[in-house]
Amino acid sequence: MGVKIDPLKCTACMACELACGYHRDDAFALLSSCIVVYRTRDKKDYFGVILKEEEDLVIARPEGLEVKRIGAVEEGGGGGDASAKPMLLREACDLCEDRDDGPLCKQVCPVDAVYLD
Amino acid sequence: MEFLASDQIAIVDLASGEVETEEFSDELCQEKIGGAGINLALYNQHADGDPIVLGAGLFTGSMVPGSCLGVVTAKSPLTGQVAHAPLTQYLGMELKYSGFDYIVIKNAAAAPTMLWVHDGILDVEEAGGLAGLDVWAAVDQVRADKGDDLIQVLGTGPAAASSDLACLMNNYWPSGDRFGLGHALAAKNLKLVAIRGLGLLEIADDEEFVDQCVALQGEVKGGVWAGKKGLLDLAKGMGQDALADWLAPLVHRHRANFNTPFAANSFLFLQGDPSALPEPEEAEMGVLLTDLGAAALFQQMGLELGDAGAILKQCAKLGLDAGLAAKVCLDGGKTDAAAISGALEGLSGPVEGLSGPFSPATPKTAVFGVDQAGDDAWWTRRQAVAHIFGLDPLFVLLAPELSEAKLVELAGIGTELEFSQEGLDAVIAEVCG
Ligand code: SF4
Ligand code: SF4
Repeated sequence: MGVKIDPLKCTACMACELACGYHRDDAFALLSSCIVVYRTRDKKDYFGVILKEEEDLVIARPEGLEVKRIGAVEEGGGGGDASAKPMLLREACDLCEDRDDGPLCKQVCPVDAVYLD
Repeated sequence: MEFLASDQIAIVDLASGEVETEEFSDELCQEKIGGAGINLALYNQHADGDPIVLGAGLFTGSMVPGSCLGVVTAKSPLTGQVAHAPLTQYLGMELKYSGFDYIVIKNAAAAPTMLWVHDGILDVEEAGGLAGLDVWAAVDQVRADKGDDLIQVLGTGPAAASSDLACLMNNYWPSGDRFGLGHALAAKNLKLVAIRGLGLLEIADDEEFVDQCVALQGEVKGGVWAGKKGLLDLAKGMGQDALADWLAPLVHRHRANFNTPFAANSFLFLQGDPSALPEPEEAEMGVLLTDLGAAALFQQMGLELGDAGAILKQCAKLGLDAGLAAKVCLDGGKTDAAAISGALEGLSGPVEGLSGPFSPATPKTAVFGVDQAGDDAWWTRRQAVAHIFGLDPLFVLLAPELSEAKLVELAGIGTELEFSQEGLDAVIAEVCG
């Protein structure tokens, strides 16, 4: 079971990214999040969410959800627009194992785009 | 300020190119809280330098629902009064994480200049190469020069040099500035402010603060906006069904401002199929609508939606406030697309009916049947709350759960300082002028 994102419900609000950053750092920060909104292609209105798991990258593109094996993704890259810290250098999702209420990203998504599957 | 802040205020003197930094003191936060409250205090302190003050609210960039807002406080070229312009999308958040809570920009530079704000550093850089570029080209150029596509740009376009209808631009799209502050920036020879925020905000009682934010998120989720998205639903929620129907054929997707539950921006595809989802080959597909003002006027004039979209895009590249431009054209009897498009370069005010410290980009009419909407005093007070705490100025109208009492309580939990309703009342009175 892992975190999944419905790209057509997503509004690129970054609440999940902020929540995950808090889960990592006990402070508000975005650099450590393993769930990241890619949002640099504004002029095309193209946005989505990318999540790093132990072995996979889960990429929620508008055209659909895609799961890629990390070995098959370029070293240091990993898609998305996490320019300051590439996805592959971030910690993998641990499903917020230390929280009784489960994944914080899921709890704060205002449009229920984050789900477990 | 140890918590919910970067603890730095920058004072930039464009005439000398010097930058001073000051500590952001607990006392200042306790007295003026944040956002427009502190912006105004800094504006008054540096009034002899005709300042433009950029600031983040106390909760900007935090987990409080709607925490997107940055504020620019300056004298409006259109009203002659001090105004607080809202910076939504990701710009307020980026400022908050940049290492500066407030930036005071004084005096004027002798040559085209830009500010580069990142990692607690503020550089004053020459911007001769950007001076002649339109808004979109300047954003692309700065991001390419600095090698980071996530840089957020508070910018101006070619219109800013001569037109008091020039607004502050938020990357490629208009900000909520309806006060001509793009013209005020240009008067200082300041082309743009490029901001990148990679910092971290400590929280005094982080577990309690986050628990309360999560609970608040759960409460607001059931609000009047639930199940609604974008400017089409907003138009319908204001009783403007014809406007929604007019816009619908070209709307692609809806985007939210940072950590804001209701997505209040809608993208108009001006080419290609608006229902298509794969990434387009073309670099530019259309224009992001960030409020309904200009669109409503163009619909009223009887324009075709495609023509209206092209004018909105032209305004975005020029850095011209499309809503004010549409009003000036309408008042001047120009109501066909070719006449409006041809008049944009060189268009200027005055604009009748602009007043008050807060932007009318946030609708004053009732939205989704919210009880008190349409009451001017209530609207002004909620705008003050949004601009002090750093919350989305539309979402505060839709979310009574973001009550003043709750925000005062969260302020205490997040900072370990003492805040009170009386203190908030005093700051609200000040920022409302
Ligand atoms: S919180 Fe939900 S809507 Fe917001 S960016 Fe994440 S998935 Fe998208
Ligand atoms: S479940 Fe937890 S660790 Fe995984 S993406 Fe969500 S917030 Fe991050």
